[in-house]
Amino acid sequence: MASKLTLSNRTGWTFALPGFALIFTFIVLPFFFAIGLSLTNQRLLSPNPTQFVGLENYRQLLGFAVVTLEPERDEAGEVVRDEAGEIQYPRLRAITRSDDYPQYRGMREWFRWQSGENVMVVIARDVVFMKALVNTFLFVLVVAPVQGGLALMLALLINQKLRGISIFRTIYFMPVVVSIVVVSLLWRFIYDGQNGLLNSILQGLSFGLFQPVDWLGDPSTALPAIMAMSIWQAVGFHMVIWLAGLQTISPTLYEAAAIEGASKWQTFRYVTWPGLRNTAVLVLVVITMQGFALFAQIDVMTNGGPRDSTQTLVFQAVERGYGKQDISGGSTISVILFAIVLAISLIQRWLTRER
Amino acid sequence: MAFDPDNYGLRLFVRYLVLCLIALIFIFPLVFMINSSFKPDNQLLADTSSLRAFLPVGDISLDNYFGAFRRAPVALFVLNSVLVTGATVLLSLLICSLAAFSFAFLRWKGRDVVLSIVIATLIIPFETIAIPLLLLVSKLPWIGLEGLQWGWLNTYRVQIIPWIADGLTIFLFVQYFKGLPGELIEAGRVEGASWWQVYYRIVMPLSGPVLATAAILKFLVMYNQYLWPLIVVQQENYRPIMVGLGYFFQLNVAWGEVMAYLTLITVPVLIFYLFLQRAFIASIASTGVKG
Amino acid sequence: MAEVSLKGIKKSYGRVDVIKGVDIHINDGEFVVFVGPSGCGKSTLLRMIAGLEEMTEGILEIGGRVVNELQPKERGVAMVFQSYAIFPHMTVRENIAFGLTIAGASKQEKEQKVAEAARILQMEHLLDRRPSQLSGGQRQRVAIGRAITRKPAVFLFDEPLSNLDAALRMDMRMEIGRLRRQLGTTMIYVTHDQVEAMTLADRIVVLKDGQVMQIGAPMELYHEPANRFVAGFLGAPSMNFLTVDVLDLDGEAATVGNRALEPIRVATRRRPFRKDGKAILGIRPQHLRAVQSGKGMLHGVVAHAERLGSETVVDLTLRDDRELIAAFNEDKIFQPGDALELAFDTALAHLFPEEG
Repeated sequence: MASKLTLSNRTGWTFALPGFALIFTFIVLPFFFAIGLSLTNQRLLSPNPTQFVGLENYRQLLGFAVVTLEPERDEAGEVVRDEAGEIQYPRLRAITRSDDYPQYRGMREWFRWQSGENVMVVIARDVVFMKALVNTFLFVLVVAPVQGGLALMLALLINQKLRGISIFRTIYFMPVVVSIVVVSLLWRFIYDGQNGLLNSILQGLSFGLFQPVDWLGDPSTALPAIMAMSIWQAVGFHMVIWLAGLQTISPTLYEAAAIEGASKWQTFRYVTWPGLRNTAVLVLVVITMQGFALFAQIDVMTNGGPRDSTQTLVFQAVERGYGKQDISGGSTISVILFAIVLAISLIQRWLTRER
Repeated sequence: MAFDPDNYGLRLFVRYLVLCLIALIFIFPLVFMINSSFKPDNQLLADTSSLRAFLPVGDISLDNYFGAFRRAPVALFVLNSVLVTGATVLLSLLICSLAAFSFAFLRWKGRDVVLSIVIATLIIPFETIAIPLLLLVSKLPWIGLEGLQWGWLNTYRVQIIPWIADGLTIFLFVQYFKGLPGELIEAGRVEGASWWQVYYRIVMPLSGPVLATAAILKFLVMYNQYLWPLIVVQQENYRPIMVGLGYFFQLNVAWGEVMAYLTLITVPVLIFYLFLQRAFIASIASTGVKG
Repeated sequence: MAEVSLKGIKKSYGRVDVIKGVDIHINDGEFVVFVGPSGCGKSTLLRMIAGLEEMTEGILEIGGRVVNELQPKERGVAMVFQSYAIFPHMTVRENIAFGLTIAGASKQEKEQKVAEAARILQMEHLLDRRPSQLSGGQRQRVAIGRAITRKPAVFLFDEPLSNLDAALRMDMRMEIGRLRRQLGTTMIYVTHDQVEAMTLADRIVVLKDGQVMQIGAPMELYHEPANRFVAGFLGAPSMNFLTVDVLDLDGEAATVGNRALEPIRVATRRRPFRKDGKAILGIRPQHLRAVQSGKGMLHGVVAHAERLGSETVVDLTLRDDRELIAAFNEDKIFQPGDALELAFDTALAHLFPEEG
């Protein structure tokens, strides 16, 4: 007989309802919408009725294959070479447009590598998506450890007892409160190929030996440049999380270590680091989540270019879903993104589980 | 003597030197921004090749600011952002704290299920639902002064309402409320207070720290909104500051004006941050507790 | 003012029974203390009376009205909490007036009632302070002040003195006693401290494991404990228990003894014993006297002695290697190793069955 006494169904629901209804309408519902839409061919403005297409969108995005190109041979069976001695291969179109290989139809080259005399070509249905996927992972794989590590170093630096240390903490944290859009615009100046501050500084430091680089205009430097800026912008955020973790470690442990004669490194290795285990997981997960959501930097700085070298999942989702009004395509990318994020938070759960 | 590694003064000097150099790395783009906002375009671009980029030297004036106001309805954008941010923060504090109060102190059927749904939304990044949410809000009804309307695009409400409630804010409130001494709430009940009275007479007055945390986090999110208004607001009347930036990149880009605009929208936040830096940093640190 | 009546009250969390059927009737104006070791359910019982926790079974009446389903505010009770639970964001005045504010009382009424409470508790000078500026004892007064302004029918106290230091605790104990005489309201008081129970209560309810062990006036419980638990719980140092052999039984008494104890006759108080079986003999340390060699009933050796000035507490090892505590109400010097013979008035000894 759970009585009316301590059970307050009406008040409980009344208090929770506005918040829950908003979360349900604007987060939960769109989330299931995304899953639903990803199984259709919905477009924002389309004369045709929406149809259920099953996993077709996923197949369109994720489909890829490896084909082997054998060198062209003359009648004698000799490998044909051009004047420079390079081996000649048949054109990829011969396969992707051939009726002999209907499964490869419409696919385009993603990348290739040499394997003996043959060339292996990875072809994908949606090369831009594949690049976005790889770039996003690359971004996370580089930014997470570097940003996390630098943030920890800053936190250790700031955790010293020095007069005026809080001023430095305030400054290091400052970029966090500045909009990423503003930051991205400023860094366009820093990275500029002609008048860029970075080029000026590097030239100054190398006494003019350094050749200016168009950081955002070169496919090989654009993504690293965006990574560096992203690290710069949010490192203060994670420094603060590390600091909070550092402050949970009891000072008596450090006193004990000092009495036992531990060196600075030993103190870090055996006192500080074990006390930061959960913080470490948290920092990595938060960076990872932020990394997978990479959008504004791309939108402001490169628009995915040059040559798709800075495409990311969210940028693609927005470009398709909003720019090209391909709602189902954008939703499909969103669902894939969510699946990745979910997997990561499950891994986090597992890493920080109670033992 | 001068290079004695145990020299306390020298070691202190090196420490401060390191700290200052790192500080330079974090501060130079902002210094550049503010100084450039006072320079004409040709000088601004020329100065980037020297340290003059970081100094208020040469032809210094407020022309860029006037130019920015001429080029774009800056005051309108700022007003829009302030309005949207202010409304969202206030509504969020009220609605999320009420929900959290219910989760933390009340027993009701379905509570645990509802709470776990709310917590589960923490792992849904906004970016993954932006597109379907766009579709949803484009078809939502609204009853206004002009009667029933369909579609929320190009309004203030589309920028405010979806952002009011979120799992993190509710979670922060729940954590804080559970840390309050339970006997205070029981004392209120025994003294005859209704749950609503317990909420606003006892719990809210004791929630200063968590209100500050939630307000700051929401403020940062809302003031810096970019992706969402970019896709749901096409009319200039409702555009917030970050989207308003687009005006400065149409036709010929006047970099001085861009810098003036960036300074205008950034410096108030920086001043706000410098005054409340302890609260800002504490609010970020408290999000770390959720691990 | 009201009577409080608990009838067959039970509470369980899942399969765990915390309160296992409690019946207590509290008269109008009575001061009843619930006492027992931690985890005995005394606080749970009080919180159920307050309406902060629900009962699994049973009927609770306050002033002749069944209140099982009523909210705390509808029960006419006021409560003083262990942590005082005074609101840190309100002044003392606002705290005391809180219940009246909630009830929508007029400013005038509030002022008058706050003044009255302040006068009774002698804290007129503290009214405009914040709780953070008050000492523990003063906070306690504020909590009591808040409780009395609403003139409740029943006062509930949940270990109100346990956060105070020893000296202050005695002051506040006396103050509560005075308050009680002044107000004459029904009061239910929970404590684990037997001194508080003995000094404050009209009647004490001794609880153990969610069951009532005994209900009665303090001296009744002290002199005529219903069972070994109550006998051991009240009195300090606690009662000695010796396992003895039942040598003989007649109508109202048993003859018991063991290697350390000369055979004595002790009243059985209608408890069941078996000839040649075992029994537990209870003797309060204060009832033991040191006697000349050859005249004692108990034989032992001093193991340790504590001189408290007004009293000397001696820890003895008996002939059968059991321990015994004796308290003499004078300052005496004992050396470890001294042989000691003790005697006592057998009318003050208690005999309990071996189990329970």
